[in-house]
Amino acid sequence: MAAKQPTPMTIAEEFAAKVRRDGQRERVMRYAPMIVLLALVLIFTAARGAAFASFTNMVAILNQLAIPLLVALGLTFVIMIGGIDLSINGTVGMAAALVGVLVMNNRFPLNLGFLGVLLAVLGSVLVGLAVGLIHVYLKIPSFMVSFAFMYVCKGLGLLSYAGQPPKIIDPLLVALPKTYWLGIPFITWVAVAVLLVCIFIQEYTAFGRYIYAVGTDETILRAVGVSVNRVKVMVFTLAGLCFGIAGVLYGIRLGQGDVTAGNDLMFPAQAAVVVGGTSLSGGKGGVTNTIVGVLIMTVLANGLLLVGVNSYIKTGIEGLIILTAVALTVAHGAKVVSK
Amino acid sequence: MKRIKVLLALVLALAMVGGGTLALAEELKDFTIDPAKIPQEKLDTVVSLAVSVRGLENPYIATIKVGMEMFAVYLDSIGQKYEMQVLDSGGDSNKEVDNMRQFAANAGGNALAYSDPNENAIAYSLAEAMAEAGGFIGTAWNKPADVGPADLTPNWVIHTSPDNVINGYNTAKALFDYMGGKGKIFVCEGMLGNTAAIDRAKGLDQALAEYPDITVAGRDTGNWATAEALTLVETWLGKDPDVGGVWCANDNMATGALQALEKAGLKGKVGVTGVDANTDIVEAVRDGFAVATVSSNGYLQGGYTLAICYAAWAGLIDVTTLPPEYREFATPALLITKENAAEYLSSVPEFDFSKPFACKAD
Repeated sequence: MAAKQPTPMTIAEEFAAKVRRDGQRERVMRYAPMIVLLALVLIFTAARGAAFASFTNMVAILNQLAIPLLVALGLTFVIMIGGIDLSINGTVGMAAALVGVLVMNNRFPLNLGFLGVLLAVLGSVLVGLAVGLIHVYLKIPSFMVSFAFMYVCKGLGLLSYAGQPPKIIDPLLVALPKTYWLGIPFITWVAVAVLLVCIFIQEYTAFGRYIYAVGTDETILRAVGVSVNRVKVMVFTLAGLCFGIAGVLYGIRLGQGDVTAGNDLMFPAQAAVVVGGTSLSGGKGGVTNTIVGVLIMTVLANGLLLVGVNSYIKTGIEGLIILTAVALTVAHGAKVVSK
Repeated sequence: MKRIKVLLALVLALAMVGGGTLALAEELKDFTIDPAKIPQEKLDTVVSLAVSVRGLENPYIATIKVGMEMFAVYLDSIGQKYEMQVLDSGGDSNKEVDNMRQFAANAGGNALAYSDPNENAIAYSLAEAMAEAGGFIGTAWNKPADVGPADLTPNWVIHTSPDNVINGYNTAKALFDYMGGKGKIFVCEGMLGNTAAIDRAKGLDQALAEYPDITVAGRDTGNWATAEALTLVETWLGKDPDVGGVWCANDNMATGALQALEKAGLKGKVGVTGVDANTDIVEAVRDGFAVATVSSNGYLQGGYTLAICYAAWAGLIDVTTLPPEYREFATPALLITKENAAEYLSSVPEFDFSKPFACKAD
């Protein structure tokens, strides 16, 4: 009965076609990070062969992967709610400094053992909580609050050992970086455990659903009576926990309390999350995307080092490859209407 | 005839002046402070000593303060009255200039200071603050290339700095000798574009040219950071586990390299060198886990800079006639190897401050 259309499609058909097209785009976007990773692995294997694909190098990659992964996991949830956390260099550095001071070391008499490790992590958790509370209740953008805390934490970390990094001499903690299980370093196992917890939170808890919902449209959550503020504060606290664990492990890996451990962790972590396909506007992506993103960043740094690219141009090349990866993943995402 | 005589006299006079300055340049190195030549009124005047530094929590900077105290002991021995203080900027350039201005003004013309400018740009302001009050200052490490002591004669007496090229060369040579002159090395450079990093790498390259059987298996920047050096060495060890040495541009990175080697079970089997004489690396050198590091010798920098300023204040040297190479020069650094590491950790060196220019490296 309808008037003649220029195309034979009905509105329903058109809508179905559009959904299909969007679905295809989304599938491409979903696999783009994997394709980038695969391409990098193939290129580096072709360029360096045995040196890149060797067992020792795989272990080295797993060793180097652990801390960026922990940092990126915490950051993923923050980005999923549409926030940003710039405190990373400080929170990680502070935890790395505190662990050196609190466990058995060559400069300070405190010898709290495992309790020291927990306290060092707790410091970062409290900072995460503070960032969340200030952001939510004083209505200050999260990037500003967390940026300020980056400096606060760096200062506290430096103050904790007054300039000269304490060397960790607790025999258990000294042995940890050299401890392997099934060929994989202990530190990486910790990261894997945290990863599993994060996947569980994201997929199987109400809190995980709320995180997506906050990133998509806060008003929906408010309408059904969920406290958006509480979700946000919890997300920043969870991020603080991840940063704290990362910092403590970094201190143990370095064998000393060292506030500079956190330096230059923040932007690679942001890049890893985005390269993995999590949208900076929130509500899309997730923990599994971040694994791929972190793998891309780690493999890239490791491969370029093994290929032996001149250090003066290496950073530039690294940037271009990251840009390409982001263009492949995010540009497609931007066209997807449903958020 | 008379004209010829005048001309002859002029030539003779010129020759004498020329010969005089020549002799001066040669003898300056042995120039000795003679307490008998210092007027009693100078000895009875309270001279104010200061070292202007970034913060005493850094072990190297603490040695500069000790250098001042050692020079003060010398002043006691010749009967000079003095007082001394540390001007701590806490890493704040403005504060360092303010501190200097206040110190110089309080002490008037009787202020002597060693200053490690927090950054290149403030070196002139610090010297200017001293010049306005009529005191004497020597700077170390940082200053822009286009300004120097000659711009504020006589108050800006000297500017000195340890020679980073030589530091890089000496540690590299110690490492290569340890390796028996052949084998693979990894190189952790400092922050790209940083003067100290460029110069130390230049020294390494000079040594590499002298040892053709040493090959570089991995070379990248570790940005002065322990964590980055750890990652570099860990990655390189995967492809070259038969490496013989790791050259690092500073001790922080040497710490990271040692940690990576320990994880691979190679600590003590692979030579490591750094620069800075951080306590943990000097201990590693003593215990045979590292080959060498370099001390910039803060005792010498602090003590001798004040000694030269003192000689200028007491009128024993005339700053206006000092040749340029005695206004800006390199100070010797101390190479720390297994032979002297234990001694370095347990003792403070002794200096003869009566020969202030003994601190000049040749």
